[in-house]
Amino acid sequence: MNQTVDIKELNERIKQESSFVDLLTIEMNKVIVGQKHLVESLLTGLLSDGHILLEGVPGLAKTLAINTLATIVDAKFSRIQFTPDLLPADLLGTMIYSQKNEEFVVKKGPIFTNFVLADEINRAPAKVQSALLEAMQERQVTLGDHTYKLPEPFLVMATQNPIEQEGTYPLPEAQVDRFMLKVVISYPEKTEEQQIIRHNLAQSFPKASKVISPDDIIRARKVVKDVYMDEKIEKYIVDIVFATRFPENYGLEKFREMISYGASPRASISLAMASKAYAFIKRRGYVIPEDVRAVCHDVMRHRIGLSYEAEANNLTSEEIISEILNTIEVP
Amino acid sequence: MAVSNTMINTKMLRPALILLIGLWLPGLLSAQSVSASASLDSTLMVIGGQMQLKLEVVQPADLKVAFPQFTDTITENIEIVEAHPGDTAVIDGDRIAISRAYTITSFDSGLHYLPPIHFEYMEGEMMRRETTRSLALMVVNPFEEVDPEKGIFDLKSPYDLPFIFAELLKYHKWLALFFLLQAIIALVIIYLQRTKKPLSQIFVKEKPKEPAHIVALRELDKIKKEKLWQSGQIKTFYSQLTDALRRYLEERYHFQAMEQTSGEIMSSIKRIELPNKKLYDQLHQILDTADLAKFAKYEPLTDENDLALINAYFFVNQTKEEPQETAEEAAKASLAKEAAESNSQSGH
Repeated sequence: MNQTVDIKELNERIKQESSFVDLLTIEMNKVIVGQKHLVESLLTGLLSDGHILLEGVPGLAKTLAINTLATIVDAKFSRIQFTPDLLPADLLGTMIYSQKNEEFVVKKGPIFTNFVLADEINRAPAKVQSALLEAMQERQVTLGDHTYKLPEPFLVMATQNPIEQEGTYPLPEAQVDRFMLKVVISYPEKTEEQQIIRHNLAQSFPKASKVISPDDIIRARKVVKDVYMDEKIEKYIVDIVFATRFPENYGLEKFREMISYGASPRASISLAMASKAYAFIKRRGYVIPEDVRAVCHDVMRHRIGLSYEAEANNLTSEEIISEILNTIEVP
Repeated sequence: MAVSNTMINTKMLRPALILLIGLWLPGLLSAQSVSASASLDSTLMVIGGQMQLKLEVVQPADLKVAFPQFTDTITENIEIVEAHPGDTAVIDGDRIAISRAYTITSFDSGLHYLPPIHFEYMEGEMMRRETTRSLALMVVNPFEEVDPEKGIFDLKSPYDLPFIFAELLKYHKWLALFFLLQAIIALVIIYLQRTKKPLSQIFVKEKPKEPAHIVALRELDKIKKEKLWQSGQIKTFYSQLTDALRRYLEERYHFQAMEQTSGEIMSSIKRIELPNKKLYDQLHQILDTADLAKFAKYEPLTDENDLALINAYFFVNQTKEEPQETAEEAAKASLAKEAAESNSQSGH
């Protein structure tokens, strides 16, 4: 094969750098039974430097999955349970007066860590959500007169429960947009559920081992950025995003009244980045349309605003995305 | 003496008799000129039931008699449901009878009294009044009185009357026409939905569609002639090659190949039984090499390009749909065969 040098080299590099992916997947699968899509999505978010919002009914191992990922990557980890009485200072930190030194000293909050698990993010009031989301975007926190950089890698994994909406503070669209992926977790298969029962009855919970370091993740992220994306794939991504904004231009007139607002340019960037990360996970140095389609639902589902008509017709953003993917020609 | 006494008495009575007739006659004449009456269909009515109260006045044709004006009740207990328009009938040339009917009802049981109803008219400068007889209406309650001590019962459900088809028979012509129209409209709608054609194109004769393999082979010939990969346009060559194949698959096997990735196309084609198992590998080779060339800057060798094109031709030729012989063609072929056989026999 007379392959061009760049791609050949890139493929070689990716094969070397992505060797940890298999290890990481094996360790995750030790603890998390089934949920293959969840594990892949967590890895995609981790490698593409994007924050993740996990949504699923209680008891689907959302928190356990994130806990396990933090254990596997030998990184600092904080879990913050979001409650209605939580304050921004509980999250970011504050200035405390030291009587001994007769000055204000900085008390950093739990956000100063590599992995943050924001459990049930929609249970905290808007000011706390806003403080977290600002830190997610800026990757820095200002306390008093000083601005402190957050450690690298910095990844926020938030969970929310689609039921029990009473007493919750749903995330505004602008803030949800800051999450690169919104992963929806479904129930396990029958055989997987049997295995879960066996683990629990035997009280023999397997434990994940530390297999990679944060530096490996930072290095892998640089390689992910180098994954080749052809112009045809870029056009495909743009077509998908534009179809959410102007569905009538893509033969989807029926969605014109159903979509109140389409995906933002941040969605295009996220789709491209997540596709590259997915190609990396599949140990490829280039993106193919399969990669785009594999991550499309997770990237787009929280970025499409549904109109009243859509809700009245029980139309979901999932169905809109599927229809768009089935309508746009693959390059 | 007795005779003379009688004569005296007659003479004395005559003026008194004339005076008496003079006083009584105008009243008698006026009473005969206008007469009013009121009548009910029956004197007994079930509570909530309806019946008609008919008012009639017989009068000279040129006299104006004012009918009583009712609003919505006759009396406190008798309500008017509907006031029908008046009717006029000529009796003997110069006399007419004006009648008017009212549909009445009552929701109070008991004996109700309909008072006399007055009709007024002007006679000269005198206002006169003609009055009907008073009437009685007995309203009875046939329902059992509710006794709460017996318990509470639900409302009775409506009576389910049987559907009698014979009732519709008299309309059979109209019904047949109605169903025929419905059937025609339904057929037109189904046809429009299936063909997805605008109404204006229904009666335009459609050109026979080219078979998928003819189109695909023509496109492959074009790609071959253009010598794209030979001139360095490898990406364009593979894009056109895969597009031609995907269009062929879409037409031939009816799945959305143009909107599917290579992996999805392979999954879809594996569900279809192809005549040769090698064809799966050949299609996979084409799509795989095409993905590398299109998305990974891969430059395949000359042999690989040739192989991709040859595999594409092979795939189309092996999977093409054989044209089915029509009944007419089959009959013609059979006749020709028979003719050939008879010729050969006569030759012998």
